[in-house]
Amino acid sequence: MNTSFLLFALLNPAFALLAASLYMALIRKVKAQAQGRKGPGLFQAYYDLRKLMHKEVIYSPVSSGIMRFTPYLNLAALLVCSLFVPLVFVPEPAGGFGNVIVFLYLLALERFFTALCGLDAGSAFGGMGSSRSMSLAAVIEPTMVVAFAALAFVLKSLNLHEMFALTAGSLLPVSPTLVLVSISLFIILIVETGRLPVDNPATHLELTMINEAMVLEQSGKNLALLELAHALKQLLLMGVLINTILPVGLSTEANAGKIAVSALSFLLKAGALAVVIGLFESSLAKMRLFRLPAFYMMAFFFSALTILIEVFA
Amino acid sequence: MLEALVYGAFAALFSGTVLPLLYRSKNARKASFGLSFISSILLLGFAGTILYTGKGAQFPAISFLPGLDFTLGVDRLSAGFVLLIAAVVPGVSIYSLEYTEHAKSEAGKDLQAALTNLFILAMLLVVLAGNMVVFLIFWEIMSLSSLLLVLHDYSSEENKKAGFFYFVMTNLSTAFLFLGFISLFRLTGSAELGQLGPVEPGTLTLPFLCLFTGFGIKAGLVPFHKWLPYAHPAAPSGVSALMSGVMLKVAVYGFLRFLLAVSSPELWWGILVLTAGSLSALFGVIYALKESDIKRLLAYSSIENIGIIFIGIGLYIIFEAEGLPALALMSLTGACFHAFNHALFKSLLFLCAGSVVHATGTRNIEAFGGLVKSMPVTSAFFLIGSVSIAALPPANGFAGELLLYQAFFQASALNDPLLTVLLVIALSGFALAGALAAALFVKLFGITCLALPRSEESRLAKEVPKLMLIGAAVPAAFCILAGLFSKQLLSLAGLDVEYPDLLLLGLLLGLIYAALFLAVRAKEKSEKEKRPARTSETWGCGAPTLTPSMEYSSAGFSEPLVMIFKSIYRTRIVHRPKYFDGQESLLKNGNVEIRLLRFFEEYLYIPPALAIENISKRVSRLQNGKLDSYLLYAFLAVITLILVTGVLI
Repeated sequence: MNTSFLLFALLNPAFALLAASLYMALIRKVKAQAQGRKGPGLFQAYYDLRKLMHKEVIYSPVSSGIMRFTPYLNLAALLVCSLFVPLVFVPEPAGGFGNVIVFLYLLALERFFTALCGLDAGSAFGGMGSSRSMSLAAVIEPTMVVAFAALAFVLKSLNLHEMFALTAGSLLPVSPTLVLVSISLFIILIVETGRLPVDNPATHLELTMINEAMVLEQSGKNLALLELAHALKQLLLMGVLINTILPVGLSTEANAGKIAVSALSFLLKAGALAVVIGLFESSLAKMRLFRLPAFYMMAFFFSALTILIEVFA
Repeated sequence: MLEALVYGAFAALFSGTVLPLLYRSKNARKASFGLSFISSILLLGFAGTILYTGKGAQFPAISFLPGLDFTLGVDRLSAGFVLLIAAVVPGVSIYSLEYTEHAKSEAGKDLQAALTNLFILAMLLVVLAGNMVVFLIFWEIMSLSSLLLVLHDYSSEENKKAGFFYFVMTNLSTAFLFLGFISLFRLTGSAELGQLGPVEPGTLTLPFLCLFTGFGIKAGLVPFHKWLPYAHPAAPSGVSALMSGVMLKVAVYGFLRFLLAVSSPELWWGILVLTAGSLSALFGVIYALKESDIKRLLAYSSIENIGIIFIGIGLYIIFEAEGLPALALMSLTGACFHAFNHALFKSLLFLCAGSVVHATGTRNIEAFGGLVKSMPVTSAFFLIGSVSIAALPPANGFAGELLLYQAFFQASALNDPLLTVLLVIALSGFALAGALAAALFVKLFGITCLALPRSEESRLAKEVPKLMLIGAAVPAAFCILAGLFSKQLLSLAGLDVEYPDLLLLGLLLGLIYAALFLAVRAKEKSEKEKRPARTSETWGCGAPTLTPSMEYSSAGFSEPLVMIFKSIYRTRIVHRPKYFDGQESLLKNGNVEIRLLRFFEEYLYIPPALAIENISKRVSRLQNGKLDSYLLYAFLAVITLILVTGVLI
């Protein structure tokens, strides 16, 4: 472990944790504007979290320990994940604590326990959410793995830090094929954070819910932790996409000025991405559940195409 | 010193086999399982030392026939598999101490104890065999002892069928092995297993195909997998754990032994093995999703994991043939490590399944539910097994797959672009199988242990006796330790591959978890108005109380995936109308059946079986019971023999 990495390990998760909820609210705001409503303020998600943190937790008598420890475990898993995606600066690679596959499987860990939570309270909606979420996750998984394999192919490393050290600071994507991967990464971002056309985060109609159905029985502080974990997951996937396609501003040096520039530029770029996501969501209707595999195939196609180009070029 | 450990283990297992048959008492059975436990401790020491020092050993040969030596030997590969056996046996023997006592008849209990020991001994000797003859002898003993264990409850029609199916398949496997070994022997002139003499390139095609088929049948590769879902549910749970955890790996060992003896494997072998592995992984898990018998589901999941191991072996051959030794080593390590890990978590899951079946009296998942309340300890172990098999970090199921992913991700190092594309296709299949397995075990654990009990049996279920809990605790502890210390274990075994430190990851997860937990508790304490957690009913959609029928069922849970993969399941609708009249115009009654087409059985197994039956019928006409016709056959046979030898010589 070097000092640059230790500094990173303190700053990056803290930054991610603080910034994550901002974009949940921003996307909501953009969607509201697109629908001609005024929408909530940019800090609404923080107010919600504060409110939830003040409330008591309610457990179903049917539920077990799963419901009690999952919120903490999920947030812990996502915080470990935040060590993998450089946002404030790219540290010197500290060997040995993980690579891109560990990152992907920590996301799988979060999904696994959220799905178990859905089944824990014995409610039909929770079970429906778990079943759909795990099914769709299974179908998107090849795409996710192949997209990250494509990243590893293009950037010649298994370590996300090494990958982004290569792209850091350049104005344009370092390789044209990265544009293709980015399309896949965008679709993965939409799918993994449960947004339209896959899932509707704003729905209150139980039958159309996927992600929201699994956390239906959660309340109070536990719900706050789960919401935070979800926001963090969105921010990290946004981070991967931004570092791939638009790495300008991201620095590899660990001094105060550079860190401030990196963090600020990330906030701006993520803001722009959030607007794009909001508009994307507003322009699409929810797809039928069994049409989704075809939508995923598109993402798969772009990742596979990247690899084909890399291999044959 | 090392030899003493092995001979001690042999002696313990042998006396464990003989004791319950001689004394036929409860104490003898206890002693028998105690002896297998002791043997596994000795073996752990033995295999661990060899892996650590990296020095193999050759035991003095015993010549029991002229020109044919009974040789045993050990090197790092076989030591790895001895370690695998030794890691599974302790849990199983403690578990069986109690579990066996619940068998129906006294004789059955004695036999189970004796045969379990014999089965372990045979597997151990297969792995230590120094030449082909020893290998085949113990291979057969292994197959037959496990067959008898599958047939332990031979009164039920279902078990008889399972036993027969297993018997046919395992003999088919042995037949292919004989063919493969004989053709190898003809090529090299040596029956040693360790190293093949120099052979001309391209001559190994026949031995390779025979051995791949033979070991593939025994390991349960698609399309030779059908015996697994029959045999595993029929066997007692401890034995299912041994069969699935260890016996399948013995077949993997045999195949690896052959591959490593060949100095230069060919590229197409790798492609074949990789394809077969990917198909097994996918088909195994896809069929498992639809299954509602808990032990059969686990058997299908074993097919998936065997597929993953063969994917690793396929990668090894491809990288080796393309001259990339570092990646080849990584794939081989991944395959072996996954074999080891699968042995641990699958034996854990079979033991838990055995406990659940013991407590509820049914194997049907749809009847379970809520066991986390009535059987908390078993459920906790079940969760550990599920997390492991779903390959979630930092449990051990993830460790082996991580190595394979790393190898896959570096496929761009290959010079041949088409090969890289093939690997990317295999990679997406591998990822799909992994994610489907996660969905499968959310379903299995969620439906079995969580929410409300779905039947009276599971509502009344009680936690199993202590010994069965301790038996499951051993592999559960191993699962966690082998995951956390995977990097350390690999480097102790001298396998120097690039690999992240899962211990660090586990510590980080644990620390952050603890910090979050304490922070929330502190926040609760600092609040002026105390708001402790309270309990309140789950909303029952307006019905006064929540009932089990409102919960998601096992079939319901997997329905979306069944829809997505419906072309693989091939449901078939059969109409069977009955009519009043010959013109089929007045319908009397009838039935319509929607059923799953059992593709492999109906297209691959039954046609040859029918053909053999037909031929046998014709041949059996020769046997007409008349002495004079038999004399005629004998006479004709002699004449033919004279003619044939006369022409040939």
